[in-house]
Amino acid sequence: MRRSKAAVSVEVRQVIGALCRLLAATGLHAVPAPETFRRAKFGGGLEVEDQFWQLLTSILQSTGIVPCEAFNQLEGVSKHRKLVAAGLWQTGYHADWVSGGEGGEGGQGGRFSSRDLLLALGWLLATGTLEKLLTHRVQQMDNILLTPIPVNPQLSSELQLHSASLRKLQWLIGSLKYQGQILLSMQEERTRLLHAVLFAILQTSVSSPDQSSTVLREECVCVQQLCDLLEAYLNWKQVENVFWTWMDSVVDCHLTDPVVEKPTHAPNGITRVCHHGNRGLEKFEDMILRLPRGQKGQRRGRGDAEDRGERGERLQGGSDTSSLPPLLSSLPSLPTLPQVYRAKLQTEKPIKRGFRPAEVPHSWPETPDELPSSQATQLLLHAEALLLERRDRQRLANRIQLQEMVGKLDELVLIPP
Amino acid sequence: MSVVTVQLGQCGNQVGHELFDVVCADAQDGQRKAYSTASCERFFHQTTHGDLVARAVLVDMEPKVINQSISRAAKSGRWRYGETSHFSQKQGSGNNWANGYCVHGPRHRDMVEELVRREVERCDRLAGLMAMMSVAGGTGSGVGTYVTQCLRDIYPSTFILNHLTWPYGTGEVIVQNYNSVLTLAHLYKLSDAIMVHENDTVHRICSQLLNIKHISFGDVNRVIAHQLGSVLQPALTADSHGVYSRNPLGELVSSLACHPEYKLLSVSTIPQMPSASIAYSTFSWPGLLKHLRQMLISNTKMEEGIDWQVRPTAGSERTSSLTAPSFNTSLANLLILRGKDVYSAETGAFEDPALYTSWLSSQEAFNLWKSPVPFNKYEKSATVVSNSQALLRPLDNIVGKAWNMFASRAYIHQYVKFGISEEDFLDSFTSLEQVISSYSQLC
Repeated sequence: MRRSKAAVSVEVRQVIGALCRLLAATGLHAVPAPETFRRAKFGGGLEVEDQFWQLLTSILQSTGIVPCEAFNQLEGVSKHRKLVAAGLWQTGYHADWVSGGEGGEGGQGGRFSSRDLLLALGWLLATGTLEKLLTHRVQQMDNILLTPIPVNPQLSSELQLHSASLRKLQWLIGSLKYQGQILLSMQEERTRLLHAVLFAILQTSVSSPDQSSTVLREECVCVQQLCDLLEAYLNWKQVENVFWTWMDSVVDCHLTDPVVEKPTHAPNGITRVCHHGNRGLEKFEDMILRLPRGQKGQRRGRGDAEDRGERGERLQGGSDTSSLPPLLSSLPSLPTLPQVYRAKLQTEKPIKRGFRPAEVPHSWPETPDELPSSQATQLLLHAEALLLERRDRQRLANRIQLQEMVGKLDELVLIPP
Repeated sequence: MSVVTVQLGQCGNQVGHELFDVVCADAQDGQRKAYSTASCERFFHQTTHGDLVARAVLVDMEPKVINQSISRAAKSGRWRYGETSHFSQKQGSGNNWANGYCVHGPRHRDMVEELVRREVERCDRLAGLMAMMSVAGGTGSGVGTYVTQCLRDIYPSTFILNHLTWPYGTGEVIVQNYNSVLTLAHLYKLSDAIMVHENDTVHRICSQLLNIKHISFGDVNRVIAHQLGSVLQPALTADSHGVYSRNPLGELVSSLACHPEYKLLSVSTIPQMPSASIAYSTFSWPGLLKHLRQMLISNTKMEEGIDWQVRPTAGSERTSSLTAPSFNTSLANLLILRGKDVYSAETGAFEDPALYTSWLSSQEAFNLWKSPVPFNKYEKSATVVSNSQALLRPLDNIVGKAWNMFASRAYIHQYVKFGISEEDFLDSFTSLEQVISSYSQLC
């Protein structure tokens, strides 16, 4: 049953509200309002970006990823933003604007907006930052309860793909699921006990006046805050799924965003190296080489493979006959290769709106290598049809072969072990 | 944290009653205070008068056994069942799983759910639910399966442990194998772990170790209760930070049954002897552990008749065969030591990787709980809860016999008339074949 858009958006706002309350309860400063999140999704302008910069700064400081002294020592907004970018890099977030030298000021021609900051926030949440903030805050405020059990799943670094590893993975998944259940139940129990303690404190503080009451009142406030924090966390956990569905839509927005302006580099000249070296690219190239080709393709240019779906990607292909690689924007995954074209992935850094006067954007250079997207689409559709036909032929051949094999096996007698 | 027990059918109610007896006696036996408090909180609810009321719900389709259990508990003077914690009918299930699952279960669902809910709400914190039943009859197996399903729906994130009693192989009930197959296949999807006691095995313990001449169900049930008690009484675990663990079911399940295809747990305890002899025996940890380890790997459930020839072999040499006696490979083991000098016990032999399957390291596969408090009069006792091939052959026998009957469609109409079709039977056979195959390939 489809709910109305209004109902969905109200729900999303409430869920984001729960997140904001939780972030505020963990002691973070500068938590934006839910409405700001919505505006960030659509690129809300400098004011929205500022708020998210501050939030990211606050998070990275609170979790100790970037020490406060670093911020104190460096002065200037741009330097602070570079620090934030560096902090994000540390957490494993390697978006272009983070790994680009300028750290989010549009730098080398990326089209940077508050949405990127929102996505960075999503990354931090997904990697357990909330739980770190929560634990940190609880340890600050609460000196009577035990620390939670450190979970150590003991993942080996090299998992070869065969059935034993699969079973091990299934075991680990089950184990993690049970750990999660245990931890959640511990949190519930802790909240309940805190409520009971708080209630008891409140009752006694009513009856005994003055001297000890200031201390008690402080304890009371502390415990109340702790209760609020844990409740906020539990409320958040229950609605977390909705938030991630919304983040999916933010990512979709990001990927389907048409890049209006040409990046500063010429297409052949982009040589951004993936931070993993070009290993990923090489593997990918190997895969491409191994795929059957109807006609020989010619390579055109080199590009880097980027696996993350958060960045818009462009496909550049070469062909022998038409020699016109199509330029397509924002296809997150590579479709099957057309016979005629050789597809390559290439990263583009979207240009930030509002260029500085010093960096004049290039006009769209019309190189002979390029096709407008409509023609490219047609070519690809044609290629798809050819590939499908080839696949069906192959399937038929396989089936015939299988039948022949089965026919031969009919004469075999199988002895069970 | 408390465990709520749901006793289902005749066997479930009898074994459950013995379990509460053992646990209460052990807790109140002049033990240390922390242990007693933990044990009482786990299994009993204390009334304002100081009475211990078992955290249990009794369900049966006949009133006789429930009434007996309730009156015997009350007579003991130490604990009792809740006055309204039971539900019974007059008619029984006729040893028909379909009757229990399709008719009695749904009909009385609301009442049973209400009883369980009341018990759960009385707990400060629920550690989990334990459903106790046999698989041979109609109520325990059929109604028990249905109730487990309902509990899983209402409490999706609570740990549910099913304790099953498997019938004598020679047969108490002619359709017991059908009932067993249907129960196991359904429970495998619902339960977090399935702990099994076999009547045949426990009977041998009674006759050979306990020297009981005329073995009654009461004797068998007391042995089962002793073994269960030694698993569920408070213990210090790796995660419990020096206090008695508050999460016994969660830790049990997450040490042993993380993989969805491997959920069958078997229990072995040492020593087991007539209570009169206990006072005259001395035990040493090395001796106990050596015997227990050999019991595990040779798949003997008793300290008599252990096959000392069975040795751990390298993985490549192991044959996975259902016919030839072979080394019992474990997926995971939980060793529980209770009694004097427990901290000096050397358990390294149980961490030998040769005991375990190759894809799980022995650090992950082996878990150890300890309690310095002696259990049930034994100065030292050791229990191993094992997720291993120990139940493979009995399971295969049950499925084999059921399949032979099914091949001639014997008695199937009795099930069909209550709503279980041949398709359901075939699905159950398929699931259990999958389980058998998984366990066979454990090497």
